[in-house]
Amino acid sequence: MTIEMASAGSREIRRLPPGLKLAGALLFTIVVVALPRRDWLDYGLAGCILLLAMIWGRAASWKLVRRLILLEPFAAGVAAMSLFQQGGLEIFLSLLAKSTLCLSCVLLLGATTPFSQILDVMRRRHLPGLLVTTLALTYRYLFVLHEEMHRLRRARQSRAMGRRHADSWRGQAGIIARLFVRASERAGHIYAAMCARGWKS
Amino acid sequence: MNALEVHNLRFSYPDGVEALRGLSFTVAEGERVGLVGPNGAGKSTLLWHLNGLLPEILPKEPAVTVFGIPLIQANLERIRAEVGLMFQDPDDQLFCPTVAEDVAFGPQQAGLSKVEVRQRVKSALAQAGACNLENRLPHHLSQGEKRRVCLAGLLACKPRLLALDEPTSDLDPRGRRELKALLKSLPITQIISTHDLELVVELCPRVIVLDAGQIAAEGPTVEIFSDEPFMLKHGLERPHILLHHHPHPAGVQNNKA
Repeated sequence: MTIEMASAGSREIRRLPPGLKLAGALLFTIVVVALPRRDWLDYGLAGCILLLAMIWGRAASWKLVRRLILLEPFAAGVAAMSLFQQGGLEIFLSLLAKSTLCLSCVLLLGATTPFSQILDVMRRRHLPGLLVTTLALTYRYLFVLHEEMHRLRRARQSRAMGRRHADSWRGQAGIIARLFVRASERAGHIYAAMCARGWKS
Repeated sequence: MNALEVHNLRFSYPDGVEALRGLSFTVAEGERVGLVGPNGAGKSTLLWHLNGLLPEILPKEPAVTVFGIPLIQANLERIRAEVGLMFQDPDDQLFCPTVAEDVAFGPQQAGLSKVEVRQRVKSALAQAGACNLENRLPHHLSQGEKRRVCLAGLLACKPRLLALDEPTSDLDPRGRRELKALLKSLPITQIISTHDLELVVELCPRVIVLDAGQIAAEGPTVEIFSDEPFMLKHGLERPHILLHHHPHPAGVQNNKA
């Protein structure tokens, strides 16, 4: 399973209580977000703490970097909006540094803690039930949709006779559209299955 | 008492397709009934009606009665507690991140205490032969294991009627054999919708043949399945188990009795 998360880290970091790890990640994120702009030294310090945690937990890997690269464009896209104001470059760089630190922290948490344990902590801390249910469903069906996407892609490639056209933007867009339709149909079935076992919306 | 009474059940989808055209039948308590028919006959639509998932707005004049409870809006929760519906695709049914959480979903919705929920989960998993799967993730299970967990999720709600939609459609021969034995061991009224006619011969003494939203035949399984012209007319084939002489046709003989 290529998108499986909690599969990295040493035994020590994996054995830490998930509540402690979640609280640590939350605290780190809040502190980084609250740091003043252009406080490059503190950004560096936060980065070092994160790096040390990764090295101690043996969770620093190319897999984590690849995931960060995959998510970075979204953060950069939002940060880029600040380029259109006065002193925009500094704000952009600050936002980029902060979002990179926060994303790395969340990825480290995800890589060393099974998501079901994180959900369990959220439930025990009485976070809104609807939020926890939504997160649980998202996690559960991420894998199903991922598999469906691969099935659609394989089916397309198998009848493409080796033509490059199969991997064109148009082809990819078709797969995404089909995936959206299937996800929508499945959402209806899941809701019915929940109702069938007494879900009270 | 009848476990299920269906009287003049009609249903059309929003696109105008008439899926059910005045179905009427009963199922006695403890009975195991097969529901067969070609694709698009209305089998799944019928099963969704038994749990009150269809129609979206329930009629004031109920067409479905479960253990004497008419299926109207006011009784919906009671009906859903009585009827356990297994969906065609296990991935639709297993919506929680872990097996234990999924099996616990129904009892939690019923408002049971944590201790009771825990007991229900343990006993349902044991009943479905899935104790070893408790801490697994649904997306890591085989199709056979998923089916077992689906069944455990239903059993945890302690239903008195099981409505199973294509329970063996994606199973290998071993998984099919295990599920068949499991269903046979459950002392619960069952309606099994399937294309697996051999399973119906082996498990269900009575069968309902559905075609184009109507009941084409209803009666003893072996008698109906042995009528080849009838079967072909309704897009079905006489099952292999009835075509050849079997040295140990225990399943068939038991069903006849």
